[in-house]
Amino acid sequence: MSTTVVEQWTAEPLEHYVAQASARIVVVMTPAGQVLAQHGFGRAVDLMGVAALGAAIMASAGALADLVGERTFAALFHAGQRHGIHLAGCSTARGALVVLTVFGRDTSIGLVELFFGEFAAARRAAAPADSARGPILAENFEAELGASLATLFGR
Amino acid sequence: MPLVNFTTREITCKIVYYGPGRSGKTTNLQYIYSQVPDDRRGRMVSLATQTDRTLFFDFLPLELGSISGFTTKFQLYTVPGQVYYNATRKLVLQGADGVVFVADSQARQLDEDLESLQNLHQNILEHGVDIRSLPMVLQWNKQDLPRDLILAPDELDEALNFRGLPTFPADALHGAGVFETLKAVSAEVLRKLSHSSAGRAT
Repeated sequence: MSTTVVEQWTAEPLEHYVAQASARIVVVMTPAGQVLAQHGFGRAVDLMGVAALGAAIMASAGALADLVGERTFAALFHAGQRHGIHLAGCSTARGALVVLTVFGRDTSIGLVELFFGEFAAARRAAAPADSARGPILAENFEAELGASLATLFGR
Repeated sequence: MPLVNFTTREITCKIVYYGPGRSGKTTNLQYIYSQVPDDRRGRMVSLATQTDRTLFFDFLPLELGSISGFTTKFQLYTVPGQVYYNATRKLVLQGADGVVFVADSQARQLDEDLESLQNLHQNILEHGVDIRSLPMVLQWNKQDLPRDLILAPDELDEALNFRGLPTFPADALHGAGVFETLKAVSAEVLRKLSHSSAGRAT
């Protein structure tokens, strides 16, 4: 299974976590559902759906925590017949992140939680400070956007 | 700010369709879903009640293609329009790069349109975002209904478009105006990105 990351420094901690926890799928995302790193997906559009749902679960759990006077629910766990889902937040110098882990019967929630703690610590330690970037899009991007949308809609 | 991956040269933008209940937000996404080839879209996720009213959100991931050498992806969300779902509306708005406000053109729905627009402003403010800095377009949906039931685009403009935003008359059920609306909000989002020194530094 492939691992892809937005920032290269996140690759090693993620691959280590996947191997140690025997995870099938891992998605590291912002609280808004933007994917920063993943293991186990082939198509980006499928990955985005999972990230949107994971972020929504964390966001609604956080809102519920607020209503009952908790600071937050640190982690959520759903047990299925063949797979379990572990969903947890962690903070880094770049801000809060949400990590969704799908694992099979060859591991356990205890191991996943143990190695998630190490993964979160490794990310915190490895996170560099933000760096500035130059302009991203060419001045004529609107023509390309129009052409891409026209192609998408078959016009 | 859109997520920019300089390693894989990808841009991912979150666009939220906002508006009162039954104004046609989900219909916009359903039409887009029906028109886009399979290999350019993911599964459309709808968290809805048994009567097909949006409970949490609808979600549609799209892969737009290459723009300035960046593979550009859109995450389209809708919010639940009904008044009592404000907590979930606020959650979905988090991190939005652009907003489409879908207004119901029926004259009797004008109060609901106004209330929803004010609610949008309030929720954006509570996320600490200046509404003037957020790319946004307005869609006057249901313009296909009989003329005596609806307000004309210039009347809706007068009543709802305080900021002189781009507006689009639409009939989302049959697709009129849907493409133009998506194109306009996409351009606004990417224009803002190109004018900033960077997206989120990655």
